[in-house]
Amino acid sequence: MNRLGIIVVGAAVIFAIAVPFFLKPFGIYLISMWAVLTIAAMGLNLTLGYAGQISLAQGAFVGIGAYTTALLIQAGWPYPIVFISAGLLCFAIGWGLGYPALRVQHHYLAFVTLAFTTLVFLVLRNEEWLTRGIYGISGIARPTLLGWSTANARDFYFFCLGALTVIAAATWWMLRSPWGRAFIALRENPIRALSLGLDTRRYTLMAFAIGSGLAGLSGALYAPLVQFIEPNSFALGLSFNLLLMVIVGGGGCFFGPFVGALVAVLLPEWMRITQSYYLMVYAAIVMLLLAFCPSGLLGLIERVIKATRGRRGPDGIAPNAERANP
Amino acid sequence: MTAVLQVSNLRKTFGGITAVDGVSFEVRDGEILGIIGPNGSGKSTLFNCVLGQLLPTGGQVHVDGKPTTGMRPCDLNRLGVSRTFQLLQVFPQLSVRDNLIVAGQEHQGSMYTRLFGRADAGLGDAADRMIEFFRLSHLADEQAGSLSYGQQKLLDAAMAFMAGPRLVLLDEPAGGVNLTMLANLRERLQAYHSEHKATFVVIEHQMEFVMALCTRVLVLAEGRIIAGGAPQEIRSNPAVIDAYLGHGSARP
Repeated sequence: MNRLGIIVVGAAVIFAIAVPFFLKPFGIYLISMWAVLTIAAMGLNLTLGYAGQISLAQGAFVGIGAYTTALLIQAGWPYPIVFISAGLLCFAIGWGLGYPALRVQHHYLAFVTLAFTTLVFLVLRNEEWLTRGIYGISGIARPTLLGWSTANARDFYFFCLGALTVIAAATWWMLRSPWGRAFIALRENPIRALSLGLDTRRYTLMAFAIGSGLAGLSGALYAPLVQFIEPNSFALGLSFNLLLMVIVGGGGCFFGPFVGALVAVLLPEWMRITQSYYLMVYAAIVMLLLAFCPSGLLGLIERVIKATRGRRGPDGIAPNAERANP
Repeated sequence: MTAVLQVSNLRKTFGGITAVDGVSFEVRDGEILGIIGPNGSGKSTLFNCVLGQLLPTGGQVHVDGKPTTGMRPCDLNRLGVSRTFQLLQVFPQLSVRDNLIVAGQEHQGSMYTRLFGRADAGLGDAADRMIEFFRLSHLADEQAGSLSYGQQKLLDAAMAFMAGPRLVLLDEPAGGVNLTMLANLRERLQAYHSEHKATFVVIEHQMEFVMALCTRVLVLAEGRIIAGGAPQEIRSNPAVIDAYLGHGSARP
């Protein structure tokens, strides 16, 4: 990361720590939701943005994580173990869902994962003995960690922010390792990657499993954040919303999901001033953004930075030479 | 001399079409074997069967005496068999250096030790040496997709060498490259060959390139080998002129 990047990230961290002191409870709830969904979007960015495997099942994994968490908390398990269990369960199921991706790609894979989301929704709704069906699970307690109670909205926000920071650091570190390079190679040219010794099967499964595991961790925060979960929250809408976050932020950019989740969580709320038109206005903004900037908001910023540097021309590379296949 | 690659009676059919029809040959340690033949003669299919990209209908492939028929390309690569493709195959959004590191990293430890190892898998210096060898040093940090066609072609070849392979199969390395770059590429391939005692198999259309680079040439037509020998013999073989060069060939 260059110096400008460090300054921007540092300012964002300070802002994220300071902002709950100036917000009403609903505002704190929204930024907590941002932190929680950023984790899930980061997982999808790994699967889709880096490794190039489309998935419309990310919302279902958030649901699996949330239900696992709600049920285990009510069964009296300590929260740290619940948190890890939700992640591991989704990792394992995600590994299984990766198998179709070894056979089909692109829109076929989108349909496979879409069917999975529907399946999960039906299980959550119909298997009442386990999930309590459409009545949902309410009264999910927020955890107390080493004597620190997160029951208060602001405390829980800081807990979510801390979890986001740790998970983001781990993801950053993994993407800098040879795995990150292998995921990009898998996305850009799987046949060449295979001929260079990359076990593309294992990397594909791993990309699905880790992406799903992050969704599970996100779900483990989601359940105590909203304190009431029901199947509809994890239907296709959430998966589409997470996909939107990745694409609006900039797929394959590390910070894309942070920006994308901010847009997807806050913009609809700001649009409420337009009353009943808000979803229409929101949809129109998203369409315009993607029509003029298919590489997302961070892609747009990157392009602007490169264009201004290119004009100065320090290395003699034409500014329009990058991104040979956007 | 040991055979690095041994292909015996290899066959590949697609429905009713026989693309490779009982081909047998050996590649000896340290040689540069050229395989020529008109379009549709089965050269690329032969390559793809040898390299595990396609499952052959019949016949066997051995690398260093080990049977490798039907082995996955990634496992074959880890045995030391590397290739380039007819069409350019670099990773456009990775930098030149990262293209080379990714081409070698899977040979370093296991998948799980790599996760906890160094970010460059310990290959940063090796990548820089390879970049220097192929004279791409000034482009090391550029995205591969922003390089010119000829530079990408050099990178493409460099990637195949990154893991220090025992055997490299080059599929039309000269395709679409201009004459200056072609001489440069040939000279680099020869330099690599003599420096590392590598073994190459080259599929190529460009006759001058094959004649200058290869120590032995096989001619493929309609899925069969119709001739084999030193470049000079091949050039004057009447069956070859008939099948490949054509009657009207004015070449000396």
